[in-house]
Amino acid sequence: MPCPILRYLPTPRLLGALGLGTLTLSPAFADGQLHLYNWGDYINPAVLERFSEEYDVRVTLDTYGSNEEMLAKLQAGATGYDLVFPSVHMQDILFQLDLIAPTTINQSEAFSNIDPDFLRARTDPEGEYCLPYAWGTVGIFYNRNAVEEISSWEDFFAAARDGQRVAMLDDMRETLGVALIVNGDSVNTDEADALTHAGDYLIERRPLISAFTYDVVPMVQSGDLAAAHYFVGAMMYVDEAPEDLAYVIPEEGATLYQENLCLLRDAPNRDNAIRFMEFLLRPEIAALNARQQKNGTPNREALALLPDELRNNPAIYPPEEVMARLQVFEDLGAAVRRYDRTWMRVRTAR
Amino acid sequence: MSTTQLSSTLETGAAPKARSRRPRWSLIALLGPVTAFLGVFFFMPLAIMAVFSLLEPGLYGGVVWNFYADNFGRILGWANGPIEEFDPVYLSILMRSLRIALITAALCLLVCYPVAFWVSRLPPRRRNFCLFLITLPFFASLIVRLYAWVLILRPSGALNGLLAWLGISDAPVGLIYTEAAVLIGLVYIMAPFMFLPLYASIEKLDRGLIEASYDLGAGRITTFRRVTLPLTLPGIIGGSILVFIPTLGNFIVPSLLGGAQVLMIGNLIEQQFLQARNWPFGAALAMLVMSVVLGLLTLYVRATLRRQATDVPGKEAQA
Repeated sequence: MPCPILRYLPTPRLLGALGLGTLTLSPAFADGQLHLYNWGDYINPAVLERFSEEYDVRVTLDTYGSNEEMLAKLQAGATGYDLVFPSVHMQDILFQLDLIAPTTINQSEAFSNIDPDFLRARTDPEGEYCLPYAWGTVGIFYNRNAVEEISSWEDFFAAARDGQRVAMLDDMRETLGVALIVNGDSVNTDEADALTHAGDYLIERRPLISAFTYDVVPMVQSGDLAAAHYFVGAMMYVDEAPEDLAYVIPEEGATLYQENLCLLRDAPNRDNAIRFMEFLLRPEIAALNARQQKNGTPNREALALLPDELRNNPAIYPPEEVMARLQVFEDLGAAVRRYDRTWMRVRTAR
Repeated sequence: MSTTQLSSTLETGAAPKARSRRPRWSLIALLGPVTAFLGVFFFMPLAIMAVFSLLEPGLYGGVVWNFYADNFGRILGWANGPIEEFDPVYLSILMRSLRIALITAALCLLVCYPVAFWVSRLPPRRRNFCLFLITLPFFASLIVRLYAWVLILRPSGALNGLLAWLGISDAPVGLIYTEAAVLIGLVYIMAPFMFLPLYASIEKLDRGLIEASYDLGAGRITTFRRVTLPLTLPGIIGGSILVFIPTLGNFIVPSLLGGAQVLMIGNLIEQQFLQARNWPFGAALAMLVMSVVLGLLTLYVRATLRRQATDVPGKEAQA
C-alpha cells in the first residue's frame, strides 16, 4: 500500500489516465523492447537511459498510483508489461493469482549483493521470483519555520492543537496504520476492537487534520502546512532546504515499505526483463538509483558507494532500535472490508 | 437511362417502397458506426457494471459469480450481517454531492447568463475572439489548472496576497480544503459547459420580440420573465445538465481542493475500486448515482418543459 511517489505536479496516476504517463527512451535503432509498469517517480531515469544504451533496448515506463490500481490493470489481462514493482504484500497477492513468473534471479552471481533481510515476501523466501528493489519509511515531513521540532505523532497533533495546519495521507492502510501503531497494535491486525480504537483515535483528531492528501510537498515547502504524513522520499526536498524542512520517523513507530521487481507471467520480453534485473543488481546501478531516489537500497554493495550524507542519514537508514519499531504491511485478505468500513467512518466523520 | 427507370417505377406504384428503402439504407449507414461504437464502448461497460453491482466481491478485486444483494443493501438498508452492514453515510454523501452539483450548476448559470448576453451583442470579430477565450482553458491539462488553484487558494497564496495588498484582510483566509474551495474549483472547470449552450440559445434570440414586449408596455422584469427567459430556456436546460452530471461524479476537485473536509460520491467510488478492492460495491454506488441522475433529469426536463408550455404568452392569452 505505501505509495512511494513524490507526487508533485501532475500526479502520475492522473497523467496516466490522460495517456501522458508513458516515458519512452529509444535509441535510434533499438533491437529489443522492455515495458516497465512502476509507481510514479520511482526510478532514476538515468538508470533507464544507461540500460537502453548498453543493451540497445527501447524502454517504456508507465506509472500507477496504488498497488490496487496496478493489480486491477493486470487482472484485466494482456497489458504488454514485462516488469512491475509491487509492494511486498502485493507480491504475495500477485503470486497467489498466478500473475508473476519465476526468474531464478537468486541464481545470479551478483544476487549476493542483496541483504537477505530484504527477502520479505512470504511466498518467495528465497528470491526465486522477485528482486528486492527499494525500501523506505513513512513518517512526518515538516517545516521548521512553522514548528520547532517534531519527533512523534504526539508532537504532530500538538502542533495542530496550537493552530497549525497538518495533513495525513489519503491512504486507508497508511493512515489507519498510524493510529494502530500509536495504540500499540499491529498494522495488519484483523481484530475488530483494535480497528475500532484506531478509528476512534483518528475521529477524535479529525478536526485537527486539514486534509487527507498526497499532494503536500509544495504546501509544506511554503509553510501552509506545518507538517504532513509523508514518505521518506521527502528527503529529496529536505536536501534542497535543510534549514527549512525536515523528515522524521516518529518515536511511536512507523511503517516500512518495500517494493520488489517482479516479472509478469505473460511478459512479452522476458529476456530483456531478466537482463534488467541483473543490471539493477550491479552496485553502481543500484547506487545511481538510490542517490537520486533518496530511499533505501537493499543492495549492500551499492550502499558502500553512496555518499556519507545518504548512507549515514538516520532518516533513510535508521539505526537498529528504530528499525525494530517499523512494521511492514501484509495482505489483509477478507479483513480489508473491516479496514474499509473503519476508514469510511473516519473520512466521513464531521 | 436511369432516370427513365426511376420514373417508370414511380409510376408503377413500387415507388413508396423504393423511396422508403433508400433513406433507410442511408440511415443505417449513417447511424450504424456510431451505434456500434456506443454499443461496444458505452452500453457494454455499463451492462458489465450493472451485472457486477449484483455479484459478490472477489477477495482480490474482480467478482465471484454469486448473486449478492448486500452491495445495494449497504447503501439502502437491508444489509444487516457480520460482513456487510447498512450505513446511512453513503446516502448522506450522495445528498451532499447532489447539493454541491446543484449549487455548482446554479452558480455557473448566474455567472454565464449575463456574459453570454454581453458576448452575443459584440461585433462578430470580437464575438469570435471571446468564444475562443472561453474555450482557451481546454488547451491546458485540467490537473495543471487545478494545481494553479491550490497555489491561489492556499493561505500564503495569490488570493491572500491580493487581499492583503488591497488592505481588505490582514489575516490570511484559509480557503483551501473547504467546501468553498471545492465550489470555486467546480464552477471554474464547469463554466464553459454552461456558457456554450447558453450562448447558442441567446444568440438565436430574436431582438424584435423583446422590443415588441417593451412596445406593448411590459417592463424590463416582465419582459425578461415572459419573453427572454422562456426563449432561452433550452440553453439553460442544456447547460445545467452538462454541468450537473459531470459535477456529481467529479472526484478530482474534492480530492485536490477539498482535502479531508469535502468527500463526494466520486471519491467513494474511486476508493472502492482503487483501495478497498471492492468492485461490486463501487459498481453499486455508480449505479445508484446513475439512477438518481436519470430520475432527477426526467423530472427536471418535464417540469421545465411544462412551465415553458404554460409560460408562452400566446397560450395564456388564449386561456
